[in-house]
Amino acid sequence: MTEKAATLRDHLDDFIADTLSRCTRCGKCFEACPMTRYSDGLSQAEPKAVVSGVLDWLQQTPGNAESVAWLKVCTQSSRCIEACPEGINAMKMVRVGQMSAMGSLGVPAAHAAMSGREAKDFFRVINAFSETQMTSDEIDRWQR
Amino acid sequence: MADKVTFWYGCNVVRHGDIIHSAITLLEAVGIEVTPAGGAGYCCGTAKDGNLRAAEGMGKRTVEKFNAHGTGQVVSWCPSCYRHMNAFMGEYTDAQFELSSFAQLLHARRDVLAAKLTHRASNGNKRKVMLHKHFGFHEVDVNPLVEDLLRLIPGVELVETAVSSPGHMCSALARVPASLKDATRAVCDAAASTKAHTVATVFHSCQRLLCALEGSEPFKVVNYVNLLTEAMGLPSQDDYKDWKLAGSEDAVIAKVGEARIAAMGEKLFRESILPELLRRPSK
Repeated sequence: MTEKAATLRDHLDDFIADTLSRCTRCGKCFEACPMTRYSDGLSQAEPKAVVSGVLDWLQQTPGNAESVAWLKVCTQSSRCIEACPEGINAMKMVRVGQMSAMGSLGVPAAHAAMSGREAKDFFRVINAFSETQMTSDEIDRWQR
Repeated sequence: MADKVTFWYGCNVVRHGDIIHSAITLLEAVGIEVTPAGGAGYCCGTAKDGNLRAAEGMGKRTVEKFNAHGTGQVVSWCPSCYRHMNAFMGEYTDAQFELSSFAQLLHARRDVLAAKLTHRASNGNKRKVMLHKHFGFHEVDVNPLVEDLLRLIPGVELVETAVSSPGHMCSALARVPASLKDATRAVCDAAASTKAHTVATVFHSCQRLLCALEGSEPFKVVNYVNLLTEAMGLPSQDDYKDWKLAGSEDAVIAKVGEARIAAMGEKLFRESILPELLRRPSK
């Protein structure tokens, strides 16, 4: 029985190892994606090559340009999960690929291909809207 | 299912206090004791993919807080939170609770709810309602659940449409603006062809990004929980939509009001909130 991961990074490493061991690079996940038409860089892309590029990112190696284009248009539609004949959570594979492309897994910042910055003032805006929509008592009891 | 739950409403939904309050009203109406939890202090960390140390800290903190609630049942409003708990947070934490989706729980108690929906929806004889759908929330097949709930409302005619957009909610499409534009246009076209009076949103980010369509389209945009509470005789007030529809900068400021702007912070309001409120859906 596999031991539960102690940290997020441990879990990601487990997930990456499992994905790399099972993915056959068939490209079905990419073919099922409803978002590829939104990227010019993907119109002629070879599905197997795109997936191989994503797997490179999982191994902390910058993947090809097509893989970056795919990572950038993912909107979590889940179609790739249903399409994978190996039962891999391909949407999670792409998400972890995005983390790597942001430089979160060890790829040097100079090779990062996506921005990891969240929206400006994300939590300050959340807190500001709370002030207008909830009572002080609700904020104290529900949000602390 | 448990009679006591933690209702995890999430972060971004706080723009719509009406949705949070209506959801709590509905849970209580079907006999559930609710411990609400949300806002930044209960963030799942899904926005922190660029900083995994922060994501892990937020995930652990939130799970520990839920464990301390002791309800054993966390009901999630937000599909991003639900997804992040399932795919990441639950993998490295000791979560001592079951996770379910708000629509699942309400749907499971729809017989109790139906008896409380006594106020007829008004719009002539029938109020035609079209559900705005996304197909990306694979963990919970939420659209049929919400359609069943809407059918409980006296006077509502649920109009059928095959239109369903990518992503799990509209905010997921925002990173690919052309796809959000396509999804918005598809909603407008489907509402026109079905002659829907109301487009019902499932999640808060769809309500946030589509509500301003009321300024240019012949239909209302209302979250489904507010349609349900309205049928209980408890109308709600969507302040965010009201502000978005105000129009000009001066009108938005007048609608929000000096006191609330002061509470939010003048600088933050000018730099981050006002631009959001002035943005219009593109189709």
